[in-house]
Amino acid sequence: MLGAGVVLVSGLALLPVLALLVFAVQEGGLEQLGLGYEGGEQVANTVALVLGVGLAGAVLGTANGWLTANCQFPGRRWLRIAQLLPLATPTYLLAATAIDLGSRLSWRVHGLGWALVVLTLGTYSYVFLLSTESFAVSGRRQLEACRSLGAGPWGSFRRVALPMALPAIGAGVALSGMEVVNELGAVELLGVPTLSTGILRRWQDQGDPQGAVALALVALAIVSLLVAVEGQLRRRSRRWLMGSSGDSLKPWRLKGWRASLSQLLTALPPLLTLGLPLVWTAMSWDQLRGETAAELAGLTGRTLGLGLMAAGLTMVLALLLAIARRWIHQPLLQQLTFVAGMGYAVPGTVLALALMLLGGPWLLSPLLLLVWGYSDRFLAVGKGGLDAGLERIPPCVDEAATGLGCSWPQVLRRVHLPLLRGPLLVGGLLVFVDTVKELPLTFALRPFDFDTLSVRVYQYASDERVGAALIPALLILLLGLVASLALVPSLKED
Amino acid sequence: MPPELAGTEVGVYSGRHYNTDKELYKEFTERTGIEVKLLEAKDDALIERLRSEGENSPADLLVLVDAARLDKATRMDLFQPTESPALQQDVPAELRDSKGRWFGLTRRVRAVIVNPELVDPATITTYADLTKPELKGQLCLRNSKSVYNQSLVADQMIQQGDDATKGWVQGMVANVEQPFFTSDTPMSRAVAKGDCGVAVVNTYYVARMLSGENGAEDKELAGKLKVVFPDPSHVNISGAGVTRHASNPEGARLLLEFLASPTGGKGYAEANNEYPLSGYGDNEVLKTFGTFKANGVSAEQMGTKNQDAVALMQASGWK
Repeated sequence: MLGAGVVLVSGLALLPVLALLVFAVQEGGLEQLGLGYEGGEQVANTVALVLGVGLAGAVLGTANGWLTANCQFPGRRWLRIAQLLPLATPTYLLAATAIDLGSRLSWRVHGLGWALVVLTLGTYSYVFLLSTESFAVSGRRQLEACRSLGAGPWGSFRRVALPMALPAIGAGVALSGMEVVNELGAVELLGVPTLSTGILRRWQDQGDPQGAVALALVALAIVSLLVAVEGQLRRRSRRWLMGSSGDSLKPWRLKGWRASLSQLLTALPPLLTLGLPLVWTAMSWDQLRGETAAELAGLTGRTLGLGLMAAGLTMVLALLLAIARRWIHQPLLQQLTFVAGMGYAVPGTVLALALMLLGGPWLLSPLLLLVWGYSDRFLAVGKGGLDAGLERIPPCVDEAATGLGCSWPQVLRRVHLPLLRGPLLVGGLLVFVDTVKELPLTFALRPFDFDTLSVRVYQYASDERVGAALIPALLILLLGLVASLALVPSLKED
Repeated sequence: MPPELAGTEVGVYSGRHYNTDKELYKEFTERTGIEVKLLEAKDDALIERLRSEGENSPADLLVLVDAARLDKATRMDLFQPTESPALQQDVPAELRDSKGRWFGLTRRVRAVIVNPELVDPATITTYADLTKPELKGQLCLRNSKSVYNQSLVADQMIQQGDDATKGWVQGMVANVEQPFFTSDTPMSRAVAKGDCGVAVVNTYYVARMLSGENGAEDKELAGKLKVVFPDPSHVNISGAGVTRHASNPEGARLLLEFLASPTGGKGYAEANNEYPLSGYGDNEVLKTFGTFKANGVSAEQMGTKNQDAVALMQASGWK
């Protein structure tokens, strides 16, 4: 039954991609599968962004994850919560505001360097969230042993905590890499040709679906590589959590320059992501255009509903896949659970096209298609943290439970779920925030008279009306923040 | 209007998104009793969606920005011909499809803006003048992803032929030393500030800055710009047609007639500082730009040339 579930979920996840391939073949065969005129540059830019953003995000996310989980410095509690702000900020909004501000101050905000900055800010929170969750719960005893042997915070981090958190960090970096491959709005605004922009361009401007599929395959290959590397990392650093004592570890007190540096490092990303729109607002009171309260309430309500629906559904599916991976040792099914997370690799615009191809003829309701699309895209987001969480539970726990006569649903309910609460909440939060700011799917698949906040932000921003985009954009930020406060009590505790 | 249509619904897929458009749809409902259901998205996404929905599509009217996209939808057979004396009268022949599948609703001009402190506006009278060697480093352009630029090139191909147009594009690209811009407003600011001397933009972006909608700072900057209409000027449209599988084609036709009529069309154009189908409207800001001479290239022809234009731009180094 678990196996059947895996086949079904994977099938639904892969169907859009298959539909796309079939369509491309029907449109004109694949004999001219080439990267085309600008393909080389698009691949190079994409790889540069994935590597650059991955590296910067890994350093920033891990550092902030550790500092806010296990060290004590003034303002730590708030700074810990603030780490989620960048994640809630749509990258296209950051790019649009940066470009607009720049052009008013005679700076050209343009090109690869700026794309690196914007995308690092927009995605490092994946690493932060997954690593900090791991730092907060793992290896308490080992860390205590470290301390009693006189190791300082740095030594304890390097020798014990970091190796234990590697799977989570790897999962975060893989997610950020997929997000980068998928990015469309920001790179388009910043004038950086990537695979994502190339796919769309060849499909829609040049009427060349085969060319688009060729580029999509390259994108898929890059993402598969990311996922494979992450899996390797995880296997190499396999360490289980033994006897975590319930009481929390006393954090290291940082003083003087160490405390200041920690404050700077943890405050900088949220300040930048929140600061840009706020500085823009402060400079442009005369440009702010409001909507009526009723309109805003409607937009927010629809956004919230979609986000909660997508988060719930996606986490249920992700849990199914993660558990199946642990329990079923059949190679084919193992492969399927791996492939099911690939929906994230397909640029949202392309996934939207694929879902239209599927949904149009069958008369599927647009909302149903939309939620299918969200789950397909964000399955990897939900799954990454869960897989890392399950890694930490030693197999002997399962063996003990089954030895006592528990079936897998019972083991799941009584053993795994309580232990997976953190990763489930974090995963759900990530999917929620991602859905709230998601654009291409919502834009292309929503029904009549069903605008959301992100749709409005994008419409105004793409019309070069940043002033009108800001209020809905700030509401998106607020939703993300409220969600993280409500969903992650572990982030609030001192 | 036939009374039996009151109480029916018209589904509109629109590539335009201005809040004032919604006011117009409301006005239409008040006049006719026909409800308007609206979905606004990117033009290309709407075209794909309509195609995939086929006969089941809830859309009756498809509104698109730019002749190239209207042509794309026509080639995919997404429109049905509409017989309407009112539309024949209100929409000039070069701004509608010869078979009545789509009709222009507003006009926009892609003109030249100049910073008079850096470049003498009198030296630019045609698009061809942008290749003059003395503009090297002064010319700024938006990238070739912009459908407005694609249509400008298509328009030149129709008038000057492919070879001449290729030479013109290469000449312009040789004059551009800054990275291509991705939007018109920052480019207009760059010209006003003297970072560029001359650029090619849709006039409504400048009009929006001048009107104060973008704030005092932009208003002041736009005041430094001189808008030059090349002789003759390239005119593009936003337009609409009744969908192939419309369940309420009569209602869609009425809405189309309303939007193309001087009353509705005025509101549609003013929403975005565009020009109405004929004349210059009574937008005070647009009046300050003076008059232009449209080159008369038909929107239908321009649309069919789009893919050739994209290929030519790519081959000539217009990024």
